Order: sequence, then C-alpha cells, then structure tokens
Amino acid sequence: MRKSLLIARSNMRRAKGQAVAIVVLILIAAMMLNLWLMLAMDYKANFDRYHDKLNDGHVTLAVDSDTAEFRAFLTETLEQDSRTDQFHLGSCMHMVARFDYNGGEINSEMIFLDKDAALSRSIGTVELVEEGGGSSGVYLPMLYKTGEIDLGRPIEISIGSTQVTYTVCGFFNSVMMGSHNCAMMELILTGDKYEELEALGCAPQAVLCSVRLQDKAESQVFEADLKTAVSGQFPETRAVSNSYALVTQSRYISQMICSGVISVMAFFVLLIALIVIASNIINYIQVNMKNLGALKAVGYTSRQLVGSLLTQFLGLSLAAAVAGAGLSYALFPGLNSMMIGQTGIPYALHLLPLPFALTLAMLGAAVALSVWLAARRIKKIEPITALRAGLSTHNFKRNHIPLDRTSASLDLALALKTTMSGLKHNVTVCATMLVLSLVVVFSGLMLENMIWDIEPFVNLIVGETADTCINVQTDIEDDVLAELAADSRVEKVYLYSGAKVWHVGGVELDGIICDDFAQANNQSVVFGGRFPKFDNEIAIAAKYAREQGFAVGDEIEITSNGRQTHYLITGFTQMSNYLGRECLLTRAGYERLGTLTNATYYLNLSEGTDIDGFNGEMEERFAGSINAAMNIQAIIVSMGGVYVSLMTVIVIAILVLSAVIIAFVLYLLVRTMLTQKSRDYGVMKALGFTTGQLILQTALSFMPTAIVSTALGLVVCGFIINPLMALFLSGIGVVKCTFTIPVGFTVAAGAGLVLFAFGTLCLLSLRIKKIAPRALLSGE
Amino acid sequence: MKEILLKTEKLSKSFSNGGSMQHVLKNIDLELYKGDFTVIMGASGAGKSTLLYALSGMDTPTLGTITFGERVISDLSQDGLAVFRREHCGFVFQQIYLIDGMSVMDNVLSAGLLVSRDKKALIRRAEELFAAVGIDQETQRKFSTQISGGEAQRVGIVRALINSPEILFADEPTGALNSQTGLDVLDTLTRFNEQGQSVVMVTHDMRSARRGNRILYLKDGVILGECDLGRYAPGDTQRHKRLAAFLQDMGW
Repeated sequence: MRKSLLIARSNMRRAKGQAVAIVVLILIAAMMLNLWLMLAMDYKANFDRYHDKLNDGHVTLAVDSDTAEFRAFLTETLEQDSRTDQFHLGSCMHMVARFDYNGGEINSEMIFLDKDAALSRSIGTVELVEEGGGSSGVYLPMLYKTGEIDLGRPIEISIGSTQVTYTVCGFFNSVMMGSHNCAMMELILTGDKYEELEALGCAPQAVLCSVRLQDKAESQVFEADLKTAVSGQFPETRAVSNSYALVTQSRYISQMICSGVISVMAFFVLLIALIVIASNIINYIQVNMKNLGALKAVGYTSRQLVGSLLTQFLGLSLAAAVAGAGLSYALFPGLNSMMIGQTGIPYALHLLPLPFALTLAMLGAAVALSVWLAARRIKKIEPITALRAGLSTHNFKRNHIPLDRTSASLDLALALKTTMSGLKHNVTVCATMLVLSLVVVFSGLMLENMIWDIEPFVNLIVGETADTCINVQTDIEDDVLAELAADSRVEKVYLYSGAKVWHVGGVELDGIICDDFAQANNQSVVFGGRFPKFDNEIAIAAKYAREQGFAVGDEIEITSNGRQTHYLITGFTQMSNYLGRECLLTRAGYERLGTLTNATYYLNLSEGTDIDGFNGEMEERFAGSINAAMNIQAIIVSMGGVYVSLMTVIVIAILVLSAVIIAFVLYLLVRTMLTQKSRDYGVMKALGFTTGQLILQTALSFMPTAIVSTALGLVVCGFIINPLMALFLSGIGVVKCTFTIPVGFTVAAGAGLVLFAFGTLCLLSLRIKKIAPRALLSGE
Repeated sequence: MKEILLKTEKLSKSFSNGGSMQHVLKNIDLELYKGDFTVIMGASGAGKSTLLYALSGMDTPTLGTITFGERVISDLSQDGLAVFRREHCGFVFQQIYLIDGMSVMDNVLSAGLLVSRDKKALIRRAEELFAAVGIDQETQRKFSTQISGGEAQRVGIVRALINSPEILFADEPTGALNSQTGLDVLDTLTRFNEQGQSVVMVTHDMRSARRGNRILYLKDGVILGECDLGRYAPGDTQRHKRLAAFLQDMGW
C-alpha cells in the first residue's frame, strides 16, 4: 500500500493540471448529486415535518353551510368512518377572492378565519411568523410577503364583487391552506375585521373541517368519499376541499422540476468526469509504458500499479466530492429561495448525513469502477515488451487522409489525420457534446415554452387559458351571453365549466364541461384520440386511464347527483393541476348526470382591452348573478412568474455549467494532446509551421467530432426531449409533452456551442507557443 | 569569389542558468558560402548545435545580427522565422524526428505543402528525391516507425530537401545510426552537395567531418580556427591527415 501511495503521489506531481481539471469536474458532479439528493430526500420531507408540527389534517373541507344540522351530520360521518383519526370543525367564511400579487393577481377559493379561532384549532393550526403591522387587519400566508405586500401596508382584496382594504398585520405558515396551489387558501382576520366581513355578507358562513387520517395514503379517496357524502345529504351546499396527496404534489412542482434537472445534469457531469478519468488513465499507460515496464521489471505487481492509480484517482475524487457536497450547502439557500415562491413552506437548511454519504459512495464507486476498467490493461503489460516498445500513440493500421491524394488544405488535412487517429479523444468529445446538446435543446424548450411565452407550460398545468372568465348562475346565462355577443371587445366566448363527477368503482374526477370543445383555445389538451363531441362521449386523464387500463373506445361508468351513466372514451387528456384525475364532457353529456347551476365562460378579448375594467363592468351589469370574474392573464403573470424566474435561473445555471464543463474537458484533452505530440509540434515548427498553424490544426482536429456529435445530439435530443419532459412531469399527471422546440434557437445555440468549443480550443492550444524547436537540439 | 549565403556579426547567445548567465556563443563573425559543405566541429559544450540553431533561425541570438542574403533574420518574430525556415532551410536531425502518425510520403509532403500548392510537382520532386536516396514506393507508403534507422534518416534528408532549400542544416546526422547506414547518409549528403546544395553540418565525428570542404572549429563559444579541405574525393588519404592535423592544432 505504501508503494502504491508513493507512485500515486509521484503521478499527481507530474500531472497537476489534469488533477485540477478532474477535481473540478468531480466537484461539480458531487455538488449537483448532493443537491439532488437533498432535494429528493429531505426537501419534500420538510412538508411532512411541518405538517406534523402544525398537526395539520390530511383532508380539509370547507362547506358553505354552518348549521347545527350540518355539523351534526359531519361529526357523525367522520366518527363512523374507521379511517378517521382526529378531526376538527370550526367556523369560517368562504368565497372566491382575489388580490394583486407579483405583478399579477391571485384568484382563489379563500377561507377567512378569525385570528383567535385560527390559532386555537386543534388540527390545522397556523404558525405566526411575523407580526407588528397593526392590531386590526389581515394576516397572510408567508408566501405572499413581497415588497408591495408587507407589514403595515394596505392590501385590497376583492371578495366576490365586494372590495375591502385591510392593513397587513402579519404573516403565517400554513401547510394545507398556505398557498393558491392548495385548492383553497386561508386568510386570517383580526376579530374586528372578521365581524365586519360577516356584516358585509359578501362571503357565506361555512364550516371548515380538518381531518387527520389513520393512513395518509388514503387522503384522496377519503376526500372524495367525504364530498360524496356531503353532496348526497346536502346537495345545495357549495364545498371546496383538498387532500394531503394533492397539496404535497401541487406545492412541490418546482422542487420536482429542479430535482429532475439537477439529477440529470449531475449524472451527465459524472459520466463526463468518468470518461475523462478513463481517458487519462489509458493515456497515462501509453505515455508511461516504459516506466510501467521498468516498475514491473523491478518487482511491482499489476495489483500494486492498478492500486496506485486507484489511490490517486479515488483520493482526488473523494476530496473533490467532500468539497462539492460542502459547496452544495452554500448553493442550497439560493435554490430554496427560488422554490419557496412556489412551495410556500419554509425550509431550514441543516446537515444531511445520508445524502452526503450517498454522494461520496456513488462517486467513489463510479470512479473506482472507471479506474479499474481503464487500468486493467496494466495486467497485460509484459516488462520486456514494454521496455522495448515504449510509447505507442498511434494505430498503424491505416494512413488516414494521405496528403498526396487529399484535396483538403494542409492544415485541415493534418487536423483530420489527428482526428482520425484519436479514438479516445473523439469518444470524450462526443460524449461531452451529446450531453451539452441535450442542455441546449432543454434550454431552448424552456425559453420557448416558459420564459418567452409561458402559455404552453400553463396549458400543460391548467389545460386551458383565455383572457378572462366569468362564473354565472345558469338562470341568467342567456342574458349574459347576449350581452357578451353584443360587446365588440369580446372576440370569443365559450363554456368551460368545472363539476365533480365520480368514476364508479374508482375515484372522484374533475369534470370539465364545454358546449363545443372545438372552440377551446388549447386544442392539444387531448391526445391519443379526440375531444368528446356527443353526449355519450368522454375524454379522461391519460394517467388515470393507464392506472385503470382504459383504452380509447372503452366504456367508463360515471356517477354524479345520484345518477349513473356509461360514456365512451374518445381520448386522453393531461392537465397537471388535476394530477391525472380529470375528464372532459360536453354539456349535453354532463346533463345526463345533472344540470349545471353555475357556468364558467372563458372569454377572449380584443387586443388592448382593459381586462379588469371589463370584469368590473360585467360584475356591475349583472350584480348578484355573477359569482366571480377572473382576469386569467393576471393570474398567469403572478403564478407563472415564480416558474419563469425559477426556470430562467436554471437555464442560466446549466448553460454556465455547460461552458465550465466543456472548458475543463477540452483543457484535459488539449493538455494530453500537447504532452503526446510536443515532439511532433517541435519538429513541425522546425520545418516551418507557425504557431498559428499548429493551434489551428489542434483546434480543427476536435471539430469534426464536435460538429457531428452536436448535430446528432441536437437531432436526437429534439426527438427525446418531450418524452423526457413527460417522464420528469409524470408525477403531476403528465403523460405526453408536445412542447415546441425552437429550431432557430437550437441551431444557433448548437453552432454557438461548436464555436465556443473552437474558441476555447484555440485559447487552450496557445501553450503550443511555448514549444520551441530548440528542444530538438541533440546536445553539445 | 564565393557568394555569401549567410553572415553573422558579433553573434552571441547566452542562457540564464540558476541566476548566472552562461555565454555559449561569444561575438561570432562568420560568413557561410553558397555551395560549401561547411562542418562545425568542437568538443561537447563548445556551442556547435547552439550556433547551428541560431544560424538556421530556430533560435534567436542574444546579441548580434544574422543576415541571409540582404535580409536580417535575427530581428524576425517567431512566425517570421518559421516562414524563413520553410522557404530557405532544410533540416536533418540526429534523432531523425519523422512524425509517427504519418506515412513516409506524408512526412515529406507535409513540409513541401508549406511552401508549394502545386501538389503534382511536389509529388514528382519527392519521388525523384526518394529515388535518389534509394527509397522505393512501398517504403514511401509505410509509417516512419515501420522503416529502419538508415531509411528513416534518408527520408529525413528528402524531407529537408523537398523545398529546394538554399541551405541544408544537419545536426549530427549519423549520430543515431550504425556505421554502414551512417556512411550511406554521408554519401547522400555529399552527392547533393556535389549537385550544388549548400550544407552546414555539426558533428564531432572525424569520419563525417571529412566530407566537408570547410571545417570550423568551435571552442568555448568562439571560432578558434578553420580549415579548407577542398572538395571531397573518395580515396583521398591526405584529406584525413590534414583534418587530423588541424584538429590537433585546435587541441582536439
């Protein structure tokens, strides 16, 4: 072991540059692996810790009926259900409300709670984080603390058609109702303001029920059963609910995206590092063939020589991995600050031994395997043969690009000769460029479908967007439609309403009802079939269809309002907001189950229309009959802003990282090449080649592989990026992605990547300047 | 009257050696003539190779000037020197230094294509030179590591002559060869010199030095003396004695 250590130390001294480059690559890989493991193993677990800390429910239900009879029914139902562990009923007010946030608007089902009541709930209490903005006003979830929404500042909230202004008194953490991603969010009012709101009568009195279950895995089914029981007994009541399963998924979409991107990048960086290490070892064996032969001749065993390489590379890698994992702790707060805008759950960074140990173990094992595979050939070295043959850097099977027959210029021909004879370099360049092509395609996809225009991403999340939507009572539907038809600002209006239905023998589904789906703005929400056209047709969530084994053409039995009907499945949908639990029905189709009491119409307005002004006019014109009017574009801006910021940072980070990776990989390759060919470069300089020519030849020699692998990578990644994205997003019900790949950007970025590589190669090859023909002196 | 090909004035070359300066060449004034076979001799450390590499533009002098024809080459940049070398000089090295990854023909053409774009003419000239040094077509297609040392050095001579240089510099060209192949190489150089090729050769081998018509003796960085042996003629027994006497005078 001591002998192996001595050889390893000697090797490292002789190749400091390579050692530094490998350390940097391993450091980046370790940093990303540890970040990924922290996100995957602890970040989401933080939700459970908070959930337990606040003793929150697994199912939360708010029903607009705070009567003794209803409470008695609910109490009896919950007590009789063996799945119930604990529950809490309390009074609240419930209404769709909205306020300005993040340059847009938050529009959500909101639960208004009295402060004292909110703080004394046995299940689903809140944690006050900041106070001091006054003694009369509103407390908001911590997520909404921005420059504009802050302690002591006023906030305007539109509750139905009533506008109120409160002073922000403080902020709190809430697990099940702390974000607009939870299906409902809570606002806490001081006693006086709660009474004022009660007096205004704009938000109905409701019962807020939080239930802890024996087994949280049953939350979705329990939620559906509870709502079925409530609607069965009290059909006129309006209810809103969420479940542990829904909230954990919907609050952690950003975590899932970050985790997915980082994990893929981490494995790619590790792969490149392993290829570089293997390539270095193979090169080391070639260059040091005589030395290795001499060591064997004096009695070193192959095991000792391989051991010295293992010691050298494992030592470097583990040191770099420890530093990389440590660096990930420095980066994590930045990542957390980006994601918290979506999760809304505070995360306290702490030492995580398991991810750290796993990072070291994975890297150590991968490096050891790579070293062992590359160093195995040492066993085959015969001391005498090695001493005689010495350095062997070229395969003499074929003379590639003979100069007397090629029409290429001298510099290009010599560069191509180097390309054709450098298999290891080509493999490394190819692997690097393929990985970076994926980065380019992913970045292009994110720019096109999220950062420049968020609509395709929003369509994937919510399925359909328009400029605005209004929810009206169906008894005045015709009047509203006539008014809208006469309004020149309205370009298109179509029914796009929601209603809960149940699959018999399955789960609750979010039904989306439309008169004619051909009018919908997003025609790609259905795939693998078509939208339902007739009253006996349905399109269901692809994820649910897979789980249940449904195919297009199968029948599914749906129930609602006590009626059961069979529908023919015409296609599959995916809208991640519904987590793979949605279905599409025509209005006529839904009316086989019941009638709509409220209808939501989506509107496209002409360019330049003041959407808020339009909504205000409609609410004024049909006061009392319009339940809500939502500025969808404002919601997209505020909610999408979080994703846009997150993805912008991710795209910039991975592009910078890619530049660093390519620079280090090329540094290693060029350095190896210069070491191998320094004598040739000296000879060529003596013959009259200029430094510029040799730099050009060196840089050009990498270009054929770089260009071909980048082009190939872009084409292949163009085909696989959507299935890959679907795989990442499968957790939120996405089965198929049809994101557009910006061809212009991708080609330009691919060309940029190749040019960047060329420029970097030229810079790295400047060391050729130091090679002097004088080194060829035979000595005096 | 001989035509001056290369001229040095007060040529000095010093190297820094652990803080102290080592003066390898000291104020050398020298003229090299067209058509001569000039041999530079001297003991180890005398500065022979340093002088050769300074004369050929492979290295720059510390002080003094080197003039090629009317052109001062000692002021040229590294790239300027590279262009000078490719256009006017040919080199034969002791260690031969053919490029491993290229065939014999490619080794020669890689130097030729630096100067000429006329590939057909180049190939013709290469084939003439190969024929002159006895390298057949089969050998021309081989890699440099697949041929013998003597063949490799003859390929080195062809590479050095492919651009018809004004001066052929040879640095111990037989140093790495056995006796017979060394003789073959010397015969080749002599033959080209007889055809008008100017040659400057560094050697410490009397048998090699005998081929030159002008012998310079270098000691401690200065030219101590020179000897005119006249044109080489095989079987000239007096030539060796004259050279031996000269070297004895020089303290060899």
